[in-house]
Amino acid sequence: MERSRVIELLARKMAGEATQRELEELNELIARYPDSVYYEEILKQLWPNAEEINTDYPDIDRIYECHKLKYHNELTDRVMEIPARNGYSYKTISCIALTVCFLFFMGLFYLHSIDKNALDTQLIAGKGMRKNIRLPDGTMVWLNADSKLSYNSDIAHKEVRIVHLIGEAFFDVAHHQSQPFIVNTDKISVRVLGTAFNIKAYPVDKKSVATLLRGSIELSVNEQPQQKIILNPSEKFELSEGENGMLKTNVTLMIDHVTPVRIGGNEYIEEVSWKSNTLVFHNESFEDLKPRLERWFNVKIDFHSAQSKSYRFTGVFKNENIKEALTAMQLIKPFTFNLKAHDVIIY
Amino acid sequence: MPKPSPDLTDLICDIALYNSENAYEKLFKYLFPALYRFCYCLLKSREQAEEIANDVMITLWKNRLKLPEIQNIKVYSFVIARNLCLNAINKTSRKELVFLEDVDVQLVLDTLNPEQLLINDELKKKLEQATHALPSRCKLVFKLIKEDGLSYKETATILNISTKTVDAHLVTAVKKLTAVLKAEFNLM
Repeated sequence: MERSRVIELLARKMAGEATQRELEELNELIARYPDSVYYEEILKQLWPNAEEINTDYPDIDRIYECHKLKYHNELTDRVMEIPARNGYSYKTISCIALTVCFLFFMGLFYLHSIDKNALDTQLIAGKGMRKNIRLPDGTMVWLNADSKLSYNSDIAHKEVRIVHLIGEAFFDVAHHQSQPFIVNTDKISVRVLGTAFNIKAYPVDKKSVATLLRGSIELSVNEQPQQKIILNPSEKFELSEGENGMLKTNVTLMIDHVTPVRIGGNEYIEEVSWKSNTLVFHNESFEDLKPRLERWFNVKIDFHSAQSKSYRFTGVFKNENIKEALTAMQLIKPFTFNLKAHDVIIY
Repeated sequence: MPKPSPDLTDLICDIALYNSENAYEKLFKYLFPALYRFCYCLLKSREQAEEIANDVMITLWKNRLKLPEIQNIKVYSFVIARNLCLNAINKTSRKELVFLEDVDVQLVLDTLNPEQLLINDELKKKLEQATHALPSRCKLVFKLIKEDGLSYKETATILNISTKTVDAHLVTAVKKLTAVLKAEFNLM
C-alpha cells in the first residue's frame, strides 16, 4: 500500500517533520502515482495555519486577570527559597540577604501577630448618629447609624489590612499596592487595593449589600470562600437569605447596576447618600423603610395598622427630625402617628 | 509550518531570574489556550479544563527556579496537564484509568475554515463525525500535531508513545477524513 507511505510523508511535510530525503522520496512517489496530488491538496486544506490558532482566544486577557486574582498570594511572593547553584551575581546575593531578612521579620511578625492580630480598636456609631474617621493607613471611613467597625490600631503596617464591620459603612480606601484591604462582615468579605465602596451588612436585615463607586473590588461569600466575585464601578452586589435564615439553602446573589434616583429635580444615589447626611428612599414600602428610619432617627417604630405597612414612599430627608419627617410623609399617604420620646406608633 | 517559539527561552529566564510577572503573563497567554483545549478534550468540561489549565500555569510559576533546566517547556506543561487530567478523571470514575487510550476524547474541529474547503455545513458535520469516530489516541495525536503545532517527538513524549506510532496515527486519521471527502466529491 504505497498510498499509506504517501500519506505518511505528506503528513510529515505538513507538520514540518520531513527530512530532505523524505521530501525527495515524496516527490518520487507523487510522480509515480499522480492522483496522490489530491491528497496533498486536501491536507493543505485540513491543516490550518499555525498563526491562526492562538489568535482566536479573545477572552485570554480576562482569564489572565482572574488567574492573577486567584493566585494573588503566590504571584506576589517575591522571595526565592534557594539561590541558583552557580549564580554569584549581585542579584542572587541580594536575594539571599533579602530572604534572611524576610525570614527574620516573618519570625518577628509571627510572634507579634499571635497577640497583636486582634482588632483592638473599635469605632461605634449609635442609632441616629453617623461618624466619619480616617484610619491610620489613610483610609476614610463613614460609619452609618447603629454600626460598629473594628480594626487593628497597627493597620498601616500590616501585610493585609483587615477590618470587621457590623452595620453599614462607606470606605474610601487609601491605595497601597502591596497591602490589600479586606472588610469582613458576617456573611461576605470584600477585598480591595484602593477604591471607594459601600457595604451594608446589618445583622437584623436579611440581606448584605456591597456597592462599588470607584476602582474595583473582589468579593467573596464567607461560606464559599473559593468563589470570588469581581465588581465593576457602579455595580452593586446583594446577598439575601431565605426565610429559614440558613445560608446553605435559599440564598440569592444578585449583581445590579447602581442607577441614580431622581427626586424633586435632583439626582441621588440611594445606596450612598447617607454619607452626606441625606436619607433617600425611592418607592419603598413603609415596612421596608422601618429599619432605616429607626436607625436614622434613633426611634422604635410599631405598626398598629396593617394597611399602613404597605404604603409606598419616595423622598429625601436632610435635616428633618422624626416628627417633621412623619408629618411630611402624612402628606403623601393617610396615617396618624403617636410620638412619645423615642417610640413611634403608626395607626 | 509551525515552529517552536524562540521567545520562550527569554521569557523563562525572566521568570526564573527576575520573577517577572510580565514575562509570566506572556507565557500564560501563549500556553493557556493550547493547554485549555487539551484538557477539554480529555475532561469534556469547560470549567474543569479552565481550572486545570490554571493549575498547570501556577505550577510553572511555583517551580520557576527549576524552569531553565527544563528542555521543552511546552512538553513539560502538557505532561503536567495530562497527569492532572488523569487524576481528575480517576477521582470520578469507578475503574482506574491509567492509559490515555482509555479516555474518551472529545475533539472540537473549530479550526476547519469552511471557505477554504468550499464545504457546506453538512460536509463539515460529516468530517466532524469522522474525526469523532477516530480512536482516542489517534484523535489526540491528530489534534496536538495539527492544532497545537507540537512536533512528533513532543507529542510522543506527552502521550507516552513512539514517533512511529505518531506516524501511524496520523496516517489513520488522514485516511479516514479523506475517505469522507472522496465519497463526497467522488475523487479517485
